[in-house]
Amino acid sequence: MKAIKGVLLTCDSAVKQILLTMNEKESFIIEDLDDYHVVIKADEEWRVRRELEAELEKNTYSLE
Amino acid sequence: MPSVEHNPDSVTQSEWSPHILLTFLQSQSQNALTRLYQRPSSCLSIFRLLRPLERQLIMNILWLESATPLSTMSAWVTQEGKKPYSDSLSTLARLHIIPNSTTKLALNATFRASLRQAITGGGTTGSFGVPAEPDPQHSPPDIATLDAYALERWETILHYMVSSGTGQHPTKPSQEVLFLLQRSGLMTRVHGGVLQITSSGFQFLLHDPHAQLWELLLQFLHMAEERQMDLVEVLSFLLMLSTMELGREYSTENLSPTQSAMLADLRNYGLVWQHSTSARQFCPSRLATTLTSSSPPLPTSRSTGGGSHDQGFIVLETNYRLYAYTDNPLQIAVLNLFVNLKSRFPNLVVGAITRESVKKALANGITADQIISYLTTHAHPQMRKNKPLLPVTVQDQIRLWELEKNRLKSQEGYLYTAFASQADYEYVLNYAKQLDVVLWDNPTKRCFFGSLDGHANIRGFIERRSAGIA
Repeated sequence: MKAIKGVLLTCDSAVKQILLTMNEKESFIIEDLDDYHVVIKADEEWRVRRELEAELEKNTYSLE
Repeated sequence: MPSVEHNPDSVTQSEWSPHILLTFLQSQSQNALTRLYQRPSSCLSIFRLLRPLERQLIMNILWLESATPLSTMSAWVTQEGKKPYSDSLSTLARLHIIPNSTTKLALNATFRASLRQAITGGGTTGSFGVPAEPDPQHSPPDIATLDAYALERWETILHYMVSSGTGQHPTKPSQEVLFLLQRSGLMTRVHGGVLQITSSGFQFLLHDPHAQLWELLLQFLHMAEERQMDLVEVLSFLLMLSTMELGREYSTENLSPTQSAMLADLRNYGLVWQHSTSARQFCPSRLATTLTSSSPPLPTSRSTGGGSHDQGFIVLETNYRLYAYTDNPLQIAVLNLFVNLKSRFPNLVVGAITRESVKKALANGITADQIISYLTTHAHPQMRKNKPLLPVTVQDQIRLWELEKNRLKSQEGYLYTAFASQADYEYVLNYAKQLDVVLWDNPTKRCFFGSLDGHANIRGFIERRSAGIA
């Protein structure tokens, strides 16, 4: 039996795919659980959130 | 004696949340409450804050000299009235107004005597304030002056909160007010010692003035405890103010030292007016006299919040454009929190709700529901012809923008994996489930994710178990 400290991310499958792509550049995923859940290293959470935010922002268009 | 079953509120009232002052009072000792109940004005004010059914219960037994058997009272209650009835009784018991008893219903003797006195008048305790002798040198302010004064004080506080961190420099409220804002967590000192509004501060701004006022006063009560002030005196003074008459001058002579000291604080919030700091008279403002009533705490013409229908000023179109008919800097500043303002005219500001403006608001801790409820309560009378009131497209989009922000949910904890056998896994999982700390589990992968606070227990459980086996 093993216990690994981490952060459980719950997300939709689109975000999950982006996370997987990001993981290829710089690995932070501890365990890929299923379509909606991944466990990542606790100290990487804020970096991942920031980068994901930037990635999602590319897909939105503003009228201004 | 009117019966409980005919009360139309009896079914719906259980959904009412009690007034925040009552919640605070319930945490006080019986001793403190009984001292508070010695004043007729306190009893009357608390009575006014209670829910209709609770008020009715008190009224039913107020004039009875002996206790009523519980069975007599419950005979009036219908099947569907049972829950509100027992809820009310337990609230009253927590307030020590009707002491808990399995057989008899009777009011707390102090409360009964004081409330009777409040209703019938009489007594010379001066509990409702002692009107001051007219002072030939200073005539008392008229109601318009008082209203303007209260509004100015109150808006200074709110405006200071809204414009913190925007680079503007509005008039600063007094040090005591700033300290209170900081203590209540509505503002916080960021690096450099500048006060900046917090997310709960933003939520505070969207509440109506009555709720805002009580939120600050409750914080004041908490601080009074730390400042070694007598809580009962502070409370009874506030409740006394709430029963006073607007536009009348009262004498400070009957006030205790604690209450005289409070006058300075209350002046800062705009609750009382004095022509000088050492004056021997004071005038309660509308903020003070409406503390326990349902009438609006600020004069209606330029009110900053409140939901009354004739004050709406916001027109929102399906194309996300927003027109706000106002020249009030505070209202404009609040709108500026979630609207991209474009142009300003003497009586009108025009702007648009955009993704960026809403995202900025969300990042500050304002929720989509708060934005929508603010727009709803302040909608222009013209908007009220629409059904639904706000364009559905805009409402939905604001909610969608909020969902977009929450696409990722994170929970810290431990992943438990590599169990020796399925039975082992199920045994530990079962234990974790009983503790209600399992966030995710999958039997085929034979692993589960538990929250951080469950870890110590689970580890202990596994260690005890392996020790038992070995």
